[in-house]
Amino acid sequence: MAAIAEELVLAPRAAPPRLVGGLLGFARHKPVAAGAALVLLAVCLVAVLAPVFAPYGPNTVFLRDRLAHPSSRHLFGGDQLGRDVLTRVIYGARVSLAAGLGATALGVGFGVLFGVISGYAGGLFDQVIQRCMDAIMALPPIILLMVLATTLSPNLRNVIIAIAVFVTPGSARIVRGAVLSVKAMTYVEAAQALGVPPSRVVWRHVLPNVVAPVIVIASITVGSVIIIEAALGFLGLSVHEPTATWGNMLNTGAQSYMEQAPWLALAPGIAIAVTVFAINLFGDGLRDALDPRLRGR
Amino acid sequence: MRTYALRRLGAAAIVIMLVSVAVFIMMHLLPGDALIVKLGATGRIPQDRMDALRHQMGIDQPLPVQYAHWVGHIFDGSMGTSLIFDGQKVSTRIGDALPITLELGVLGMAAALAIGVPLGILSAVYQDRPLDYLVRVISFLGLSLPGFWIGLVVIVYGTRYLGYSPPRGYVGVLHDPIANLKLIWIPVLVLGYGLSASIMRMTRSTVLEAQREDYTRTARAKGLSGHVVVSRHVLRNALIPVVTLVGNQAAFVFSGALILEVLFVLPGMGQLTYTSILQRDYTQVEGCALVAGAIVVLINLLIDLSYGVIDPRIRYA
Repeated sequence: MAAIAEELVLAPRAAPPRLVGGLLGFARHKPVAAGAALVLLAVCLVAVLAPVFAPYGPNTVFLRDRLAHPSSRHLFGGDQLGRDVLTRVIYGARVSLAAGLGATALGVGFGVLFGVISGYAGGLFDQVIQRCMDAIMALPPIILLMVLATTLSPNLRNVIIAIAVFVTPGSARIVRGAVLSVKAMTYVEAAQALGVPPSRVVWRHVLPNVVAPVIVIASITVGSVIIIEAALGFLGLSVHEPTATWGNMLNTGAQSYMEQAPWLALAPGIAIAVTVFAINLFGDGLRDALDPRLRGR
Repeated sequence: MRTYALRRLGAAAIVIMLVSVAVFIMMHLLPGDALIVKLGATGRIPQDRMDALRHQMGIDQPLPVQYAHWVGHIFDGSMGTSLIFDGQKVSTRIGDALPITLELGVLGMAAALAIGVPLGILSAVYQDRPLDYLVRVISFLGLSLPGFWIGLVVIVYGTRYLGYSPPRGYVGVLHDPIANLKLIWIPVLVLGYGLSASIMRMTRSTVLEAQREDYTRTARAKGLSGHVVVSRHVLRNALIPVVTLVGNQAAFVFSGALILEVLFVLPGMGQLTYTSILQRDYTQVEGCALVAGAIVVLINLLIDLSYGVIDPRIRYA
C-alpha cells in the first residue's frame, strides 16, 4: 500500500536523459572540459592498447642504448638499462589509470556506503563513524600510505586497497553532508510519513539525489589518486620494477642517472601532469554542469 | 564559547585516541612479530630462547595488553624504544626531526598564502579577463603537477644549467638562519606552490561571492573607492573560508613536506618515517604516525577555536 502511494505521490519519473544530446550540450557549454575529456579518452585508449602504440616491449633491453639521448629511435631516450622510455611511459599509464580508477571506485564506493548510513541513521552510529573517519583523515596521507604499503605487499591490488582507505573518509564526509540536506526535504519526509521502509527511502529518494556530488568527488579524486600512486612509486612503495609505472620511473634507482640523463625525469612527469590536468579540467566542467549552485563561479 | 571549546577539546582527544588505535592496528597487521623483525633471520635460535626474548619484549601478551603498554609509554614520554637503534627513545628521534618538518610546513603554508591569496583576489577582480584565465591556469597546474616531480626537475635541471646544488647536510635554523634558509627555500616554494592552488581557487570564488553581497553594494553606493571596498569589505568576509581551508590542508602540508624531505635529504619527520619503514623499525613508525596525526588534530582544533575571534558574527551557544 505504502509503495503504491509512494509511486503515485512521490515519484514523478524524470524522462531518461538523452545521452547523445546531453554530451553535445556539455561540449557546447563546456568546450574546455570536453577537450579535456577527449585527452583523457586518448590516454585511456593508449593505455589499453599499449602493445599497439608502444614502439617496443616494455622490458626489451637495447644494451647499446643505455641512457641514449632522445632521438628518432627513442623519442624520449633510453633508460639506465637500455629500455625505451616512451614505451615504458605508455605501459606505465596502465598502472596509473588502473590505480586511479580502482582506488577511486573502491574508496568512493565505501565513502557512499558510510556516508549514506551515517547521514541517514544519525545518532550514536553517526558519531562513531564520523570520529573513525576523522582519525583516518588526521593521519597525513603519505604516512598512512607508507604504513599500509609496508604492511601489505606492494602489488597493484594492495596499492589500490591502501589508497582506497585514504579516499573513503573524505568522500564519506561529503556524501553525509549531501544526505543530511536531502533528508530534510519534504519528499523524504512524505515518504517516511507514508510508512515507506528506510531502505527503500534511501534507495529511491536519497541516493538518486546525492549522485551529482558523488560523480564530482569521484572525478576530482581520480587525479589526486594518480598523483599519490606516483608518489608511492617514487618512494619505492608501489608496484615494483620491472613493471613500468610513472612513479617508479622517477625513483631513486633512476635518480642516480639523471645527472647524466636529465630527460629521464621529464617524460613520466609530463605524462602525470597532462593526465591529471585533463582530469581536473574535466572534473571542474562536470561540477559546473551538475551542481547548479556553483554555476558562474 | 567556553562549552564549545571544551566540547571541541573532548572530540579532539577522542580522535587522537582513535588515531593511536588505528596506527596500532595497522602496524599489527604485519605478518610475523617484532622479534623476527629485530633478529632479521629465524630458525637459528632455539624456540625457548625466542619465547624468553618475546616475553622480555612484552610481545607475547594479548594485543589489548600490548596496546595499553604502548599507551603507557606515550604518557611516560618515551613512546617506547627504537627496534633498530638499541636504547634510543622513539620520542628523542622525533624531537630531533619534528622542528625541521614544522619549519618546512609553516614556511610552505606562508608561501602558499602569499602566492594564493593575492592571485585569487586579482583573478576575482578581473573576472573573465586574460589575467583571470592566466591565474586559473596557474592554479590548475599547481593541482596537477606532483610536488616531488617539480622538486626533481629543479634538482636535475637546476644543477645542470643554473648552478644549483641540492643541500648536503642540514644546518639548524637556530644554529645559522641564513644557511638554513638557503637549504630550505626551494622545497618551501615547491610545497607552497602546490598548496597555493586550492587557496587561489577558494579565494577567487569567495571574493566573487562577497562582491555580490548587499554590504559591498552599499559600500560602493556611498562612494568608497574600489580599493577600499575590496580591502575593507570584501576581503574581511571572503577570507573566513580560506582560514578553514588552511586547517583542512594541515594533513596535506605534512604529506607534501614529508616527501620533499626525502627528495631534498632534510632530516625531518618524513625522512625519519621513511627510513624507519625501510629499516622495519616499527615502534619508531608508530610513534611518528601518532605524532603526525596528533599535530593535524591540534591544528584543526585551533582553527575551529579561532573562528570566534575572526568572525564576530559567530556566537557559540
